[in-house]
Amino acid sequence: MALSSPFFHQSLSTQQIMLITCLALIPGALAQSYFFGYGVLINLCLCITYAISAEALVLLLRKRKIKQVVSDNSALLTGVLLGLALPQTLPFWMSFIGVWFAIIIAKQLYGGLGLNPFNPAMTGYILLLISFPVEMTAWLPARTIASHFPDFTETLQLIFFEKTAEGMTIEYFRLITDGFTMATPLDYIKTEFTQSKMRSEILSNQYLTDNIYAWTVINSCYLLGGIFLLLRKIIRPHIPLSVLSSLFITSFILYQFDSEATNAPLFHLFSGATMLGVWFIATDPVTAATTPRGRIIYGLCIGFLVIIIRTYGGYPDAIAFSILLLNLAAPTLDHYTRPVIYGHQKEEQANE
Amino acid sequence: MNKSPIRFDNTTWPVPGKFHGGIKPEEYKSISNQTEIQKLNPPESLLIPIRQSIGNPGKIVVKVGDEIIQGQLLVDNTDTSGANVHAPASGIVKQISSVKLGHLSGLPETSILIHCNNHSEQKNGDSSSGTVTEFRFELLDWLSAPPEVLLARVQQAGIVGLGGATFPTHIKLSKKLDQLIVNAMECEPYITCDDRMLRELAAQVVAGAQITAKTLNAELIIFAIEDNKSEAIASLQKEILTNNAPTKMQIYVAPTKYPSGGEKQLIELIHNIQLPHNKLPASQGMVIQNVATVHAIFKAVQQGKPLTSRLVTVTGNQVSRPGNYWIPFGTSVEFIIKKLCINNTDENSRSVIMGGPLMGQKVSNLKMVITKKSNCLIINDNKNEKNWLTESTSHQQCIRCSECEKVCPAQLLPQQLYWFSQSEQWDKLQAQGLKDCIECGACAYVCPSKIPLVHYYRFAKSSIQQKQLNQNKSDKAKSRFEFREMRIARQKQERKMKHQKAAENRKMASKDLSDDPAGKQNAINEALARVKQKKNHLSNQNAPGKEE
Repeated sequence: MALSSPFFHQSLSTQQIMLITCLALIPGALAQSYFFGYGVLINLCLCITYAISAEALVLLLRKRKIKQVVSDNSALLTGVLLGLALPQTLPFWMSFIGVWFAIIIAKQLYGGLGLNPFNPAMTGYILLLISFPVEMTAWLPARTIASHFPDFTETLQLIFFEKTAEGMTIEYFRLITDGFTMATPLDYIKTEFTQSKMRSEILSNQYLTDNIYAWTVINSCYLLGGIFLLLRKIIRPHIPLSVLSSLFITSFILYQFDSEATNAPLFHLFSGATMLGVWFIATDPVTAATTPRGRIIYGLCIGFLVIIIRTYGGYPDAIAFSILLLNLAAPTLDHYTRPVIYGHQKEEQANE
Repeated sequence: MNKSPIRFDNTTWPVPGKFHGGIKPEEYKSISNQTEIQKLNPPESLLIPIRQSIGNPGKIVVKVGDEIIQGQLLVDNTDTSGANVHAPASGIVKQISSVKLGHLSGLPETSILIHCNNHSEQKNGDSSSGTVTEFRFELLDWLSAPPEVLLARVQQAGIVGLGGATFPTHIKLSKKLDQLIVNAMECEPYITCDDRMLRELAAQVVAGAQITAKTLNAELIIFAIEDNKSEAIASLQKEILTNNAPTKMQIYVAPTKYPSGGEKQLIELIHNIQLPHNKLPASQGMVIQNVATVHAIFKAVQQGKPLTSRLVTVTGNQVSRPGNYWIPFGTSVEFIIKKLCINNTDENSRSVIMGGPLMGQKVSNLKMVITKKSNCLIINDNKNEKNWLTESTSHQQCIRCSECEKVCPAQLLPQQLYWFSQSEQWDKLQAQGLKDCIECGACAYVCPSKIPLVHYYRFAKSSIQQKQLNQNKSDKAKSRFEFREMRIARQKQERKMKHQKAAENRKMASKDLSDDPAGKQNAINEALARVKQKKNHLSNQNAPGKEE
């Protein structure tokens, strides 16, 4: 029995919260591996292994109970999120660097679960994105439009040897049937905009719309997982809804301003890492704001930044950058959005 | 609100309020609310702590060896802020000593040990056997008695808040207030003593509330009750409709949510206002009394009985006859377990809690006794209970999920409080409103990392208190020191001034003489004159003597 009251306890445990979050990622992960092949699953396995081994290593060095801490499933979740965020055929040593950096530097060096100011998965992702920009943007085209889609063995060879037995590199597999290379839709459209092409003109490319379709399906699956988390009360609606509404409103305003040089609001919502980021990464309780008002501001700012960076910045997707920036602001948001304590209303009014 | 079973407009309080947060734990009330109230006869010996209320301990008015009768005054608190204590049974005072009973403070308490005459072991607890075995106050007709007399009776009878706060009731009732709220929410799991009391003794409770209202000069009585007690509501409603009492009565049926029975939450529910953090309910013209308290007032006035026993819920999966029992104060937990529990259980797997599972206290010493604050005793085997925290439960890191913020009825940020109390930042804790925490335990109940949050807050509160005590002490010492320094300096100054003045005077005198030759001559002349006069005087005196 506990030392002092309450002796009664009933709720989901931290382990369960982490595990259910991982489970809610399954539909999105399946959709992603349907469109992008075995690389997604191989990456997941690699990243999970890296994450748990890194966590165990640090716990060993810190002389903590390894089994008890690893079983909180937080390292598992970081591994899963990174595994889903990385390009399918990223060389294994790069994902190793990303995951170990995420777990060891971004999480354990700060004291472990609950004490890290930045989301570990996104910190690892950004490290990789800045260090290896070419590899990190080398996404395959969706299975539906690829000219040579790698099979399981080829994917393994690409990940571990960076070329297949026949000597083909990733560039070969990125070709689509018309002989051009296809980046992710966000990336592709951004490049086209910089060449002063009109939106309607860009979208007339059938391959692009097929690729957009794949990303829309993937995002919808993550949305489903997110709604599941919401219904299970694993997450609360403040952050996802405010990010989504801010994404929509900001892009809607820009779209009204110039519909031929900016992306449509719905495209923003269902492309890139939007839904994964909104429902699974921005809602990471450790690094988000904790007060209800703080969370709404947190979400609104993320949504705004995502659209601004996507539209005017140098990177096609901006979920990771926006979330990390707002992680930085979370303690300040918490400080200034404290709810009024019971019985203190009149004072607050008097002070105002 | 939709669950409330019966609603009559004339008996129902109309304002539906709500409070922030709260939890809905499993109730476990049906374990103990199915059986009728019974009486537990006193054991062979009773150990009565002399301080059973908030306030100072009073004066012990019996001595070792005294033969006492049930209801006799043991501890007189008339001149202090506490409440009187009476003998729960007739017998002999065996010992008055300091006993460690495992109370939260960890300090020994002065207690009176009584060996009872008619204890349950003798099987002849018949009080009407000719001799007077019980002391009673003179009966009062409350309808005609003035409020001061009723108030004096409440004080004499040693009545305190029986919801668990044990605040002396006469102090709360000494003001004139408009509204009496009778708290029958009983929102903690397992506890059913108020529920049973209303089902069976509604008439007495209503009478007690009427007496209390008269003492206060109140115009309205509101009975506040959660909607999970439909039988109690029905019984109360029937009583209110048939009772021809002078003060208007209404029932407020609240949705079941813990901690709706907290004083602040109750006010928010009933009146849709928040009690200012530095004010008492009296500032809003209302007073809140527990059901058991108004019943005790009824007994004191209508039956002349001082408060010597209370209704205690004895429940849990180790109790063979769970239910509500009238238990005399001073009865040990050990005795209750012996009387009411399954005997063949291993004592190590049994855990005993006094009070509810969310705000109660662990009984580590079975010698601990029932006092005025003990409303419930849970005796459980926790091995297979999923809701109970065990000693081996280790907690994990806070993941800042802020579930605790969602349930906190005081609208605090429990995870921030936890953070600051871990790092012992007392100033920040105070700024975060630690003292507004009512320790209801809702935060720890929902914490996914199973952090014993309330434990941290209690520790922080006592540390802050200790720090303030030390601060006061050092402030006092400092001011004493400063005063001493000042006094020494002043005395020095005074001495200096005195010496200076004296020196000046001397100087002046000598100056007068030396500077002014005429003055000098005058002085000489004066002195000569004085000598002459003295001589004359002497010779005058001596002359008659010679004649004799």
